[in-house]
Amino acid sequence: MKEFLLNIDRRIIFIFVALGIIIPALGSFNLPIKPTKNVRSIYDTIEEVAAKNGTILISFDYGPGSFPEVQPMALAVLRHCFKRNVKVVGMCLWPDAVGLAQQAFDTTSKELGAEYGSNYVFLGFKTGFHSLVINMGRDFHGTFPQDLHGNNTTELPVTQNIKGLADFDYVICLAAGNSPDDIWIPYGQERYKFKFGLGCTAVMAPDQFPYLQSGQMNGMMGGLAGAAEYETLVQVPGTATEGMRPQSVVHLIIIAFIILGNVMYFLYGRQKGGVQ
Amino acid sequence: MSRDQIIFIIFLFIFATINIFLFGSGSLSADWTGFGTFIAAGITLSLYSFLYKDNPLFKFAENLYVGVAAAYTLTQVWYTVLLADVVNPLSALDSESLSNLWLIVPIFLGLFMLTQLASAKFSWLSRIAFAFVVGLGSGLTIPRTIAAKLLKQVETTMQPIPFDLFGLDLLIILVGVVTVLVYFFYSVEHRVASKIGIWFLMISFGASFGYTIMARLSLLIGRVGFLLEDWLVLPLPLF
Repeated sequence: MKEFLLNIDRRIIFIFVALGIIIPALGSFNLPIKPTKNVRSIYDTIEEVAAKNGTILISFDYGPGSFPEVQPMALAVLRHCFKRNVKVVGMCLWPDAVGLAQQAFDTTSKELGAEYGSNYVFLGFKTGFHSLVINMGRDFHGTFPQDLHGNNTTELPVTQNIKGLADFDYVICLAAGNSPDDIWIPYGQERYKFKFGLGCTAVMAPDQFPYLQSGQMNGMMGGLAGAAEYETLVQVPGTATEGMRPQSVVHLIIIAFIILGNVMYFLYGRQKGGVQ
Repeated sequence: MSRDQIIFIIFLFIFATINIFLFGSGSLSADWTGFGTFIAAGITLSLYSFLYKDNPLFKFAENLYVGVAAAYTLTQVWYTVLLADVVNPLSALDSESLSNLWLIVPIFLGLFMLTQLASAKFSWLSRIAFAFVVGLGSGLTIPRTIAAKLLKQVETTMQPIPFDLFGLDLLIILVGVVTVLVYFFYSVEHRVASKIGIWFLMISFGASFGYTIMARLSLLIGRVGFLLEDWLVLPLPLF
């Protein structure tokens, strides 16, 4: 037994993790979700934008590999915007985000009766990264003369009065890579001084906290938990809220394994010169 | 027949049986949506089969993903960049849009880059394009990075520290920054400050590791949710 516990096959841990996800996913017990200050800050800013009938820009910078984490954020933020009549302009710095962003717009606009052109516009993907963001800051219509469907951005009600990035009341980046700290903050927020919020994968989250501290962004949703908090704020539970049940259970399982591993190591592992 | 081959055949048999049942019972619709769900479920299970052992199904799914992603990216770049910003403006040139002729410059710079692959005789042309990219990139990146990632961070680290909870935050950040910097200063013997720096580093590694676990689990939860709800069409919650 001692040898077994000192050298647990990783596939046994996989089975525990799998059961920890599947069993809670089949059930219906709910765990309390309390929105944190950083997530609430994004919500409050959108409320302020709604009060002045403003426009926000959402940059969809993620791909299918981070779909379960970031797509719930996109859905929750779009639901909030459409519910409060905030005009939304969508764009992508990642080509593989186009289909996912389109799906999010289709789902939420159908649910809340938002109309293309007057409530939202989707610009699609454009290459260039930092030079694209700089050009958007200087000349929005020159950078995106047309939307994804070939309409002129100078004629669409949502985009016709946008001259540059500073005309957006809020910019939100939904990211799975380096686009917030390597593109949006240095070339966009620092240069054109717009309010900036971030929704990112949990892996990225620790690296983004310094930008919250410095005020370069005013809010952040980190991972599935961040998405679940935003779903709680907009009162539309979705896949992120559902995901919190298995997430919490598996976290407990992993903590238990870490404690077990350390106890066994301190009891026996060190005496034998290490675990085999 | 090896144990792995038997497991492989049993897996395929179970997967086929479940899908025959799902299509037969109408749980999966016999159209492109149903077919898409069936393919997505198969690829998801193939990828997770790596947890048992590397195998041909995993390799197939992995390479398929790379191929599909590359093709999808190519179509997006073609329609939204090359066609919209290069081909269409140049093909519709008239007296009013003569300024679009400047597009020829980036086109040639792009073609020069390809000479690296196409011809050893003309590969020197690629240096012009690379020089342009490096020069432009450095000019844009260096001042913006220093301003956004260094000066701004230094500025917020050096704020006056008030006697409240916010001040405690600032103090912890200040101590963390200073002690970690001391840890990475190798010219003197490491004493107390660098040891505190190690603690800060360890805590940050722990936080990153915790967030990474959360991220990977979120992806797994998303896939399990897809398998249970979209593929198996289970009436959740069951209890």
